[in-house]
Amino acid sequence: MSVARLRDASVVSFLKIREQQSRLLAMALAVAIVAYIGWKIVQSPDQALQFAFNGLAVGAVYALLAMGFTFVYSTVWFFDLYYGAAAAIGAYGVFYLRSHDVLGGQYAVNSGPVNVLFAVVTAGVAAWALHVLCYRRFQGRAQPRTLLIIGGLLAAAVGVYTGLVLANPANLHVLLSPLVAVLVTGGATWVLRRGFQRVVAPATRGPLGAMVTVAIVVGVLVAILVANTPSLGLYLSWGVACLLSGTVSLALYRGLYVTMRERANSPLIMLVASLGILLAITAFITIVFRAAPRPLPEAFGSEPWTIGGANIKGFNVFAIGLAVAGFGVLLFLVKKTAFGKAVRAIGDDEEVAKVVGINTTVIIAVVFFIGAVYAALAGLVSGHDTAIQPRMGLLLLLKGWIASVVGGIGSLYGAIVGGFALGMLEQFGIWDLAGEWRDVISFIVLIVFLSFWPQGLLPRK
Amino acid sequence: MSIVTGALRNVRDVARDPRSWWQRSKGNIELWANLIVLGWALVFMLWRGGGFAITVGSVFAIWAILAVSLNLVVGYAGLLSVGHIGFLGIGAYTTAVLTSHASYEQLRTEAIPTFGWPFFAALPFSVLLAGVVALVVGVAFNRFRDDIYVLVSFGFAVIAFTTFLSWRNLTRGAFGIHEIARPAIGPWVFDGELEFLALLLVFLGLVVLIAWLIVTSSFGRVLTAIREDEQAIQVFGYRTTHYKLAIWVISAMIAGLAGALLASWSTFIDPNSFVLLESVLLVSIVILGGLASIWGSLLGALAFVMLEEGMRFVPFLPSEFIGQIRQVILGILLVLLMLFRPQGLVGRFKL
Repeated sequence: MSVARLRDASVVSFLKIREQQSRLLAMALAVAIVAYIGWKIVQSPDQALQFAFNGLAVGAVYALLAMGFTFVYSTVWFFDLYYGAAAAIGAYGVFYLRSHDVLGGQYAVNSGPVNVLFAVVTAGVAAWALHVLCYRRFQGRAQPRTLLIIGGLLAAAVGVYTGLVLANPANLHVLLSPLVAVLVTGGATWVLRRGFQRVVAPATRGPLGAMVTVAIVVGVLVAILVANTPSLGLYLSWGVACLLSGTVSLALYRGLYVTMRERANSPLIMLVASLGILLAITAFITIVFRAAPRPLPEAFGSEPWTIGGANIKGFNVFAIGLAVAGFGVLLFLVKKTAFGKAVRAIGDDEEVAKVVGINTTVIIAVVFFIGAVYAALAGLVSGHDTAIQPRMGLLLLLKGWIASVVGGIGSLYGAIVGGFALGMLEQFGIWDLAGEWRDVISFIVLIVFLSFWPQGLLPRK
Repeated sequence: MSIVTGALRNVRDVARDPRSWWQRSKGNIELWANLIVLGWALVFMLWRGGGFAITVGSVFAIWAILAVSLNLVVGYAGLLSVGHIGFLGIGAYTTAVLTSHASYEQLRTEAIPTFGWPFFAALPFSVLLAGVVALVVGVAFNRFRDDIYVLVSFGFAVIAFTTFLSWRNLTRGAFGIHEIARPAIGPWVFDGELEFLALLLVFLGLVVLIAWLIVTSSFGRVLTAIREDEQAIQVFGYRTTHYKLAIWVISAMIAGLAGALLASWSTFIDPNSFVLLESVLLVSIVILGGLASIWGSLLGALAFVMLEEGMRFVPFLPSEFIGQIRQVILGILLVLLMLFRPQGLVGRFKL
């Protein structure tokens, strides 16, 4: 026997599985998993239903994470590990704004430096957004210096407003009511105009003044309502946390990723750099909030409903609905809007997209913002469901990453299916084990999928 | 060897003509990284005295062994593994279980099997077990590369940590294992810190020698070729999977050795030493020091240890935040390195 033959007979070659055997093994594995779950269901249907409900509840968080993650990935084609920190910022943002409300305020946190930091970051992002969105429109009409001063003042105002909101979390409903007024007015104007153009008189501008007046009235009424409802504080803090997470991601994108992608557009370099950001933000959160787990205040729907002998909390049903709604919104954005078309173009080929006149920097910034908002939503939903701790960022990131790979990386359908599938598999997997093995199970699921179905459940076409 | 001669040549040049030396080496980042880290360490040791130097030296030796072992995989084979802390844990727990002689009746907690072996009998088993686990894991991981490799190696770290935490019949879970034996040769026990430091440095020297032999051999050259272009080297008839698996197992065995030494040095271990974040810190040490450079790993480990020790003397810094602030600094360093110097301080390979 020659040396080469000997090498062929070594352990690795013996274990190297050929294509066909691999497919057989995969089928056998799938059959075994289905048989195991089926056997469990037959054995005790009530308990199986309970595990299924738990799986759906956990899966909703994973689906949200996976959707945002895959959306960002399929645009810029690198794994942005800041994503985990975005989830942690979302959860801790809610905690920061409501900490006087949690357990009698014994963990109350409000530090001046953090407020100032976020005020500065927000001001910077606002300045950049103003520059990108409005500069060209006013370019010829005023002196550049005037524009600069006006823009700087506006950005500073945004920063000061953010700092004020963060410094007075107890009066969130009052402080945020102007913002709510502005948003509602804008939304109402858009709806009225669109409705008028679609339904009443196509291809006309319509009575603009009257519509704006109505919208302003609606906005002010809603704002007054919000300002007089202190119980809305928690849900307003959700919005603020999502916005903060998105703002940080915009700052990172403009401040770092743009430069980096120009210097060396290698996925591994971007991954390691974003890993550094994740490390730094996790440690920063630990310094501000300490490492111990903290609870979030009680949201609605904490009483369990009993359906068919199994319990599910109303909040979990809301989370599942949120995941489905988030999927719908993202699908609509990608498939039906001009923005989605641009995103897909950038995902296909960024250089060509730039050549045909798409402002890739702005589009990618919006993609990062949306991704961070989805991460923050997932973070705060899972925080309300269990508790929050600084290292949740890394764990949630890994779960979102796994779910998007299992579903088929880059595909939105795959993300939602993968998220719920991962949640279900995890819950059924810990039926006979202790709950602490759930992370192990999800990684085993990942390795099995990568070995036998590297494309995922619903691959991107 | 070239490091030594290069350093000597530098010293000679400085003595001969300082101005032209300054002109030539102004932009030499490698030189300045070496000078700053080594000088910083030297000043600190002289300032704080012997006891401090012994503790820092021991911590440095363990991190350095780990960093050199990880550099073999990341720098030479080009597989960015974030799960190496798992092998450290396997080595540490094997030594701990085999050599611990704690009596759990006194502690009034659940008992785990105790063997009471001497350290040097347990050491080969730690190394071997890490190698065997690495073989199994490596066969499963061999088909992945680049960013997916990062993800699955995260998975290995998580699986290892959960096992340490949850296999309570063997590891006592979060309680940890006490009274791990110190090494002993005949009647001579390495009880003092100085003796242990000497032992650690001997092992570090051995590891560096092994690593140096590997990377300068033809085996090491094939690894470098795999890192640069795997398909090209396959065309020449090399079975790249075998090479990658071999270096992975060797690296894991060295990490297991580091784990055995760590367990014996601290005489107490619990799963908190093997969390995922530690693993990420290890990767950042290797990248900071320099990829595909053994000297770089030593330098990175030294810089890491000195960073932590140096922060103890920053005024107005609460001691409970030192670890966190070190993490912030490392994270920012990682970003800066990726921006300006993707090969690390003295590295030879850009990610």
